[in-house]
Amino acid sequence: MAACVKGLDKFTFSLRLIRNLQLQNERYLSTSLCRSAPESNADPPRFIPPSKPVIIDKTQPEASKRKFLSPEFIPPRQRTDPVKFSMERKDMIRRRKVLDIPEFYVGSILAVTMADPNASGKVNRFVGICIQRGGKGLGATFVLRNIINNQGVEICYEVYSPRIQKIEVLKLEKRLDDNLMYLRDALPEYSTVDPDMKPVNYSHTGEVPVNKIKVRMRPKPWSKRWERPNFDIQGIRFDLCLTPEQMAHAQKWAKPWEEYDMLKEYDTSQLEKEIFLEVQQEMNK
Amino acid sequence: MRLTLQMLISHGRVARRMGLNPRSRIDMLRNILTGLVRHERIETTLARADEVRFYAEKLVDYAKKGDTDEKAMKMASFWLTEKDLVPKLFKVLAPRFETQSNGYTRMARLPNRQNLDRAKMAVLEYKGNPYPALYPVKKENELTLINQLLKGYREDRAQQLAAKS
Repeated sequence: MAACVKGLDKFTFSLRLIRNLQLQNERYLSTSLCRSAPESNADPPRFIPPSKPVIIDKTQPEASKRKFLSPEFIPPRQRTDPVKFSMERKDMIRRRKVLDIPEFYVGSILAVTMADPNASGKVNRFVGICIQRGGKGLGATFVLRNIINNQGVEICYEVYSPRIQKIEVLKLEKRLDDNLMYLRDALPEYSTVDPDMKPVNYSHTGEVPVNKIKVRMRPKPWSKRWERPNFDIQGIRFDLCLTPEQMAHAQKWAKPWEEYDMLKEYDTSQLEKEIFLEVQQEMNK
Repeated sequence: MRLTLQMLISHGRVARRMGLNPRSRIDMLRNILTGLVRHERIETTLARADEVRFYAEKLVDYAKKGDTDEKAMKMASFWLTEKDLVPKLFKVLAPRFETQSNGYTRMARLPNRQNLDRAKMAVLEYKGNPYPALYPVKKENELTLINQLLKGYREDRAQQLAAKS
């Protein structure tokens, strides 16, 4: 056995010598013969990466797509330097290039998968109806509500948190109000969302469907006096839970002059247009 | 009543507290604004003039939208308690300030009120009003020697230019 191995060694060594000689000869031969193509053996050809494919979606022309600017991009009326808002916008766009944050409104049903070190599989998924979108800039949040095992659960997610791995819109729709906190005092059937719900197809053109549902409430007392005009809620069936006297009593807190108070107006139309263009340009880069 | 810190701290609050309550403040400002639109120059306390100044300029901005605009008409009919001033706003004041984008009013301080309260007084006016100016414009005397020599020089230069061309 040992003798064979020794012999094998000598054999492989001699083979290697011959191979090297052959290679050297080839090199000499090649330089003498093929001078017209010098870079064929000396340098490998420079790697030119293939050009990125340009995907043109011809099914939906750009003009008909719904123009949506997420509300956290619009800066509030403050005395801060606009540089702060532009820097924040840059960071927000950077995050949006990594994670696709879809268009959604208060009243849409979302499913969020978030990284969780304590969960098995390291991710947890929560499905719920969006009841509030708050905050501006990188601290923007949205609250999802659902009822699981007869327990109402609300989770407040930060839109730009690095723990969020996926946001899916299962159903895109709007409601009559911007704030659905009254669902806490409504009957549980209005807050239950099936966790295994399949996403409903929605179009990217035209108007967002408005769900004009009017919610039935549990008997009073409620967490807030939703009938008062400062909340301005359209989506509750007050006629089933309050008497006309109670409704009239609630109107005592009405402030009819606020509608005409020009100091309280904040006209964002110009700002919105500029920021929308800026965001669109940056996202397409 | 919930006694919050918000009631004691007023950081960033733009609106002054006037009158008995917010409604009374708006009513008071409405009356002063109506008087300003009628007379185009009024005399009030400094604080009230300062508050009304903002609303006066915003009212002119709304009036510029034209009287066919529903929102503009609603605002004008709310803020002007005397309804014969609504056409004056749309037909006189809005065309007067068509070329300007802001700064339709001028405010100047007056000597304090002679009452016991010695309140700070101010006069508030819309620019372009028919009264004599608040700050009289000083006209330079043309009959001084230097001004006559300069006038002659200017005329000579104008003659030279006309002869060249």
